[in-house]
Amino acid sequence: MRRGAPRQRLVLTVLLVVSCALVVLDSREDTAFVTDGARAAGEMVFTPVSAGVSAATSPVGDAYRALTAAPNARERIDELEERNRELTAELEARDLDEQRSAELEELLHLSGLGGYEIVPAQAVTRVDSQGFSDTITLDVGERDGIEPDMTVVNGDGLVGRVLRVGTKTATVLLLTDGASSVGARLEGASEMGIAHGTARSLDESSSIRFELLDADASVSSGERLVTMGSHGGTPFVPGVPVGTVKEVQDTPGALTRTAEVTPAVDIGSLNIVGVVVSEPERDPRDSVLPPKPDEDAAQAPRDDGAEDEE
Amino acid sequence: MKGLTTVLLLVFAVLVQVAAINRLPLPWGMGPDLVVLAVVAVALGSTPVGGAVAGFSTGLALDVLPPADHEIGRYALVLCLGGYLVGRLRDSPRHSRLWPYLVAFGAAFGVGLGFALVGLVLGDPRVGVATFLFYVPLYAGMTVLVSPLLLAPVLKLRRYLSKNEFPDITDASWVSGGVRL
Repeated sequence: MRRGAPRQRLVLTVLLVVSCALVVLDSREDTAFVTDGARAAGEMVFTPVSAGVSAATSPVGDAYRALTAAPNARERIDELEERNRELTAELEARDLDEQRSAELEELLHLSGLGGYEIVPAQAVTRVDSQGFSDTITLDVGERDGIEPDMTVVNGDGLVGRVLRVGTKTATVLLLTDGASSVGARLEGASEMGIAHGTARSLDESSSIRFELLDADASVSSGERLVTMGSHGGTPFVPGVPVGTVKEVQDTPGALTRTAEVTPAVDIGSLNIVGVVVSEPERDPRDSVLPPKPDEDAAQAPRDDGAEDEE
Repeated sequence: MKGLTTVLLLVFAVLVQVAAINRLPLPWGMGPDLVVLAVVAVALGSTPVGGAVAGFSTGLALDVLPPADHEIGRYALVLCLGGYLVGRLRDSPRHSRLWPYLVAFGAAFGVGLGFALVGLVLGDPRVGVATFLFYVPLYAGMTVLVSPLLLAPVLKLRRYLSKNEFPDITDASWVSGGVRL
């Protein structure tokens, strides 16, 4: 041990001096080029090694990350699912709102054309317990100024009339119900008749039977009906579109002529309706009817709802 | 044979340290130092000069390989000194089985401290009070925690090789001035 001590110290001293020299060289800006070569060599060695290790350990690394993220992942998933539900509900609500807004707009349009004063309402239920009569329930009642025998319309035309009124609800007899009769006249003419509902029980495809008072009056398919109006505006205000003549039934020997009429409104999908609480000052005649569709489309009912029914 | 295993061990330690451990997403942004352990393992079964050379070469490799952002030579200086000092200790059977781990802890602590001190002298802005109070002890602790994985098999292997290999003449203490390779 003793004998080797100077040599050991020499080696150690040389190594330490070299280290210190390197540190000094590297930390000085102007002499750093000496060590830059060494760094470049180190990089050349390191890059393939590092790439190899990366390739070999990437599955392990992924697993490690997945494991460290696992406790939070459950929460994160729950959070995202919750958020997803909220957003879906919001989206559906928005669609519904848009639809309601469109229906209300149509309703406003119709009431504006006819000069009716209406109370908007939402159709709540359709079926009564027996299922005989074709009625709907509205979410408006006496407190909203609704009285029996008021006309109910929606953006497309006549829906029916108010049958009974509660404090917060009102029952509406639809114009397709078998017990419903509406005084109506042909568009642009003074031929009058009575539109009877034909539904005896719930039947979506039921149409209206229009009975002309004058047996000689001419009626052809594609002509449209509006309400005639009753005395005092009850039960029906004048000028509301009722439907389109689909087929004229010319029964030989019959005292009256009858025609099958497709309702202007889609009875199957009522949502927003309006109750006419005040009749117009003067008869709007045919002004509420939308512009006559093209000749091709004349055979078909003019609105989408009626098309659905066919 | 022994020299070959030494070189292989050091190269392995450097590569694993640089390519694997330094990129592990460990807490507090630091990991155990396999290189210090490898130098300790080599130096314990060698002479002060052997330890110093091993420390210098591995330290220089760590200084040069890319993740390093300190001055070249800084690690080499500290590890060289550490290897020399560890080499002066004897790994004799009289010591308990925990002796190498105690040495490893001392070496890791000393290397961490020395590295920080050199940084302080060179004006490294990252060296502060937290370095000495928190990072150096943490570094030494983590290194000791993994030390059985490296030290136990390596020391056993080196003892086995020393026992079986007939010492050739260069290993004789009277030739190389007490150098026990």
